[in-house]
Amino acid sequence: MAVPSHHIVSEPPAFEAPPYPPDIFSGQTVLVSGGGSGMGLAMAKAFAQGGAKVAVMGRSLERAEAGAAEIAALGAAVHAMNADVRDPAAVAAAFDEAERALGPVSLLANNAGANFPVLAENISINAWNAVTRIAIDGTFMCSTEMVRRCIARGEGGAIVNNSAQYIWTGFPGDAHSAAAKTAQATMTKAMARDWKPWSIRVNAIAAGFFPHASSTNGDAPEAIAPLQNMIPAGRTGRIREFGWLSALTCTPLFGGMTGQVIVQDGGESLRRSLMMPDFVPPRERTAGPWGWQ
Amino acid sequence: MAWLNGKTVHLAGVHPAIEAALKAAGAMISRTQEANIFIHIAAAPEHVPAHKQSHEAWRQTLDSGLDQRFLQANEFAKHCRDRGAGGVVLFVGAPEQSAGVDQAAAAGALGNLTKTLGVEWARDGIRVNSILTHRADETVGNLASYLVSDYAAYVNGAVMGVDDHD
Repeated sequence: MAVPSHHIVSEPPAFEAPPYPPDIFSGQTVLVSGGGSGMGLAMAKAFAQGGAKVAVMGRSLERAEAGAAEIAALGAAVHAMNADVRDPAAVAAAFDEAERALGPVSLLANNAGANFPVLAENISINAWNAVTRIAIDGTFMCSTEMVRRCIARGEGGAIVNNSAQYIWTGFPGDAHSAAAKTAQATMTKAMARDWKPWSIRVNAIAAGFFPHASSTNGDAPEAIAPLQNMIPAGRTGRIREFGWLSALTCTPLFGGMTGQVIVQDGGESLRRSLMMPDFVPPRERTAGPWGWQ
Repeated sequence: MAWLNGKTVHLAGVHPAIEAALKAAGAMISRTQEANIFIHIAAAPEHVPAHKQSHEAWRQTLDSGLDQRFLQANEFAKHCRDRGAGGVVLFVGAPEQSAGVDQAAAAGALGNLTKTLGVEWARDGIRVNSILTHRADETVGNLASYLVSDYAAYVNGAVMGVDDHD
C-alpha cells in the first residue's frame, strides 16, 4: 500500500552532496570487506567521497572488481582483491596486498555477511557456520589484523561494523543472522574498550532495510513499493545514507566517538501496537520464514 | 559542512559545544518554538545516594530530565503539525547510570520516550533522538548537528552515547 499523501516523508541530500569534505580521509586507506556490492559498496563509495583510497575485498574477485570499477569512477584510488574473512592467513595476505597497492590501512569497514530466510530447523551446519562465522569470525579476524598493524606503526585508526536493526529483538525466521549481527554489536563495545589506549575507534550501525541490487528482492521500484508503508519513516533506507553514516563515524568529526551502536532504520524496529495481527509461527507463514510477499 | 543551512534551532538549555557546532553548520539559534529543530539539554545532577535525596531534589531532576522535555517536545511537535512541516527533536543529557537514582529514572524514562515519540510522530515527518553523555567536546557538537540534519533522515528513535566511558 502506498504511503498516504498527507504523511510527511523526509529524504536525505543527493549522492553528490556527502556530509563531509572531499579530503577528510585524504592519505588514508580503507579496507571494506564484502565491498564489491550492496551495503559494502555503499560504504566503500562513501569513504571514496571523503578522499580515502579503497581496498575492496570480496570472496569473489569478479564481484570485487565490478565494485572497484564503480568506486574508481568517483575518482578514488582503488584495489580489488579476494579473501575469505574466516581464514586468518588469507586475511593477513589481503592486508599485505592492500598495503602494497595503496599504503597502510587505518580504516576498516566490516561488512562481509551472508543472510537468507530459513527456519531454524532447516539451517544446515554449513549454513549456520557460514552466516555466523563470516560475520563474527570475519569481524574478529579483519579487525585484529588491522589493529596489530596500526599498533606496530604507532598509528590510530577507525573501524565501523555493519550490524542490523534486529539485534535487540531477535529475528524469527533468521536465527543465524540474528545471532551473528548481535555478536558484531557486542564485539564493537569490547573492541572499543580494548583499543581506546591506541586511539583506535570502533562503532557499528544497526542498519534497517536498505534495498540494493543484491537484496533478496532487489531494489527495483516495484519490489520496494510494498515495503515503504510498513516502515514508520514512510520509506526504506537510501543506501547512500547508510554509507555516509558508516564513513562519518570514522572521520575526525566524530573523533571522540567509540563503542557506539547507532540504529538507522527509520523506526522500523520500534513499531509496536497493543493489538497486533495474530501470531503466526515462521513455519506456518504462507510467504516463507520472513513473511516476504 | 553546511548541514543546517536555512534551519532554525530552538535550543533549550546550555551546551556551548553543541551551540558552536550548530552555528558552524549554518543553523540559526532561536529561543522560541518557531523553529525546524528542537534541542533540549538537561544539566546532570550531582550524585546523591538514594536514601539521602530530598523529595525536592528528586523532583527537580525528574522535572528537567523528563517532564519538561516531554511537555516542550509536545509543544514543538504541535507547532510543526500546525505548520504542516516536519521537524526534529533531540534530547541531550547525562547517561542513565552516571549519577544517582534520580538520573537513572529520568534518563531511562527519556530513552524509551524517545523511541516512542519517534514512531508516534514519524509520519508527521518529525524525528526524535537522544544523546546521553557527560562529554562537552566537538564530537558531541558534531553528532548533535548530524542528528538534526537531513543526513540523519533515516535515524529515528535512536538513543546513543559518545563513548562508553562517558
